[in-house]
Amino acid sequence: MKGFTLWFTGLPSSGKSTLARKVEEILLERGMKVEVLDGDVVRTNLSKGLGYSKEDRDANIKRIGFVCHLLTRNNVVAIGAAISPYREVRDYNRKLIGRFVEVYVKCPLEVLLERDTKGMYARALKGEIPNFTGVSDPYEEPLNPEIVVDTGKETAEESVAKIVRTLELMHYIPPAQDEKDYTPEEEQRIKGRLRDLGYL
Amino acid sequence: MGLLKRGRRRKRACVVGLDGVPHSLLTRLMADGVMPATARIAAEGTLQPMTVTLPEISAVSWPGFMTGTDSGTHGIFGFVDLKANSYVLTFPSYTQLKAPTLWDRLAEKGKRSVVINQPSTYPARPMNGVLISGFVAVDMAKAVYPARHLARLRQLGYRIDVDTQRARSDPSFLMEELRSTLDARRRVVDHFWEAEDWDYFEVVITGTDRLHHFLWSALEDSAHPFHGAALEYYGQIDAFLGRMAYRFARLSGQDGPIPGFFLLSDHGFTAIHQEVYLNRWLQEQGYLAFSSRSPESLEELAEGSRAFALDPSRIYLNLRGKYPKGCVSEEQVCRLREELVEKLQNLQCDGLKVVQRVFRREEVYSGPLAEQGPDLVVLSQRGFDLKGSLRQSEVFGRSGLEGMHTWDDAFFFSDEPPREEFCITDCAEIILRTVL
Repeated sequence: MKGFTLWFTGLPSSGKSTLARKVEEILLERGMKVEVLDGDVVRTNLSKGLGYSKEDRDANIKRIGFVCHLLTRNNVVAIGAAISPYREVRDYNRKLIGRFVEVYVKCPLEVLLERDTKGMYARALKGEIPNFTGVSDPYEEPLNPEIVVDTGKETAEESVAKIVRTLELMHYIPPAQDEKDYTPEEEQRIKGRLRDLGYL
Repeated sequence: MGLLKRGRRRKRACVVGLDGVPHSLLTRLMADGVMPATARIAAEGTLQPMTVTLPEISAVSWPGFMTGTDSGTHGIFGFVDLKANSYVLTFPSYTQLKAPTLWDRLAEKGKRSVVINQPSTYPARPMNGVLISGFVAVDMAKAVYPARHLARLRQLGYRIDVDTQRARSDPSFLMEELRSTLDARRRVVDHFWEAEDWDYFEVVITGTDRLHHFLWSALEDSAHPFHGAALEYYGQIDAFLGRMAYRFARLSGQDGPIPGFFLLSDHGFTAIHQEVYLNRWLQEQGYLAFSSRSPESLEELAEGSRAFALDPSRIYLNLRGKYPKGCVSEEQVCRLREELVEKLQNLQCDGLKVVQRVFRREEVYSGPLAEQGPDLVVLSQRGFDLKGSLRQSEVFGRSGLEGMHTWDDAFFFSDEPPREEFCITDCAEIILRTVL
């Protein structure tokens, strides 16, 4: 199968990294080569030294995008998971990479503030963290993402299933092998229903 | 709720499916005053006859509606199919549907859907909204997405289908089952209409198909003991349709239901004169044999068999290399196929022609999966119900079923101008245009 880039974007702590890792597992099971470029991890190596100004954020996202581009053209599935708050740079990466699937990890700010799993929103609201997306820095929602998951309403499993199903429909990934939808008992019941209606 | 920012109305669509309702029956019931609300709806747009897929069964028609493609693209050819390189029967599920559905395509644009009792969507899978699978769903827990709605459905007494095993031989029970499943469906529709945010709302009534299979004569014969009950059921459906149309109009801020309100069926119905057992016919014509007198499955197909049938009207050539006991070579295909076409077209029963037309695969299926389909699909004359069963001792016979499907008497209601030729696969684009 050919490579592609799966790009997760959304507010901090909306679930991008969690979903990225879960999707990675599934794609590995299906025999694909996968690399995850997590925004937090990349900032400790490839983008070490970059800050959170718009310029620095753009540079960070472009660096991740460039690596995704290299991976994609070498038939690896590159999964980018970074806030990537500015539309223009996401679209820049889309144009560069071509086989680019954008996943908007949507979660209402109120839910994120309530959850605040890393305690960062509370600190940002106190002014302890400047340039915090969603609080003191903007987030530009994608206008036409290929996939939208709502982590305010869906479980992680529901979101992952939606992402994987969409990738199958787009023929980016193969379907799961030997999926057994029906137990033997279900098959017998289905046979019975079909027989009642004259189909068997 | 009906208005977007900047004063633009939110574009929505509402679809109500009536499984197995013929255009001819619907127009008759409207004219007879049995369905006055439906008549009012119909007067506001175009109610037109529609052809469906081949074979003309729900397993294929509904995917045709859902995806806007034929089996050669979506990959579902019937209620049953064969595992690759074998004669082992499988039951294609929603997982095997290879083309995006209406609601998949709406989701790509961020639109949310509520889909209730859609046949051919079992087991339910993730989508942007709510999905409740219809026939052949047998386990409610696998028929609902997201699963968190299961408790509410149970609370509302939701029923996937009537008890077909008992209903087929007990008309009183059937009528009671039809009433209670319709009531349950209505409660669930009411709940999700209000509780969910949606751009596309769909519900399918499948009780009509059950009534027609088991008690078609009750609709045709005014002296039938259940004629009144059958009309009363249609009266309940009429009230349901009227309510759906009215609430959609109100939600949309329109005077009437259109644009945006659609009605359709997935095939028509007519009375059965004779059932026609294609595998028996193939045996008598020397194309098929079994290793036992009462075969349980096609796995008992004997060596040298050149063709077999899958329900209801699909004929497959037993090709070398494709099937384990395949004996028909590539060079023999064309001649064998045409030989079968000619013989089928000449088949008669009581002096009546049985077959309307025999379609070759390439005439029916397009798309990357067309080669997985049957070599021939037989379209019968009305009254002759084709079957793929294996254990019949005669070519013609009857079971207790009264009604059979038709290909060209389904219906579609919309605000589109009428078309000379309209197929169920044309519906999806029209509906999508309304919402996007």
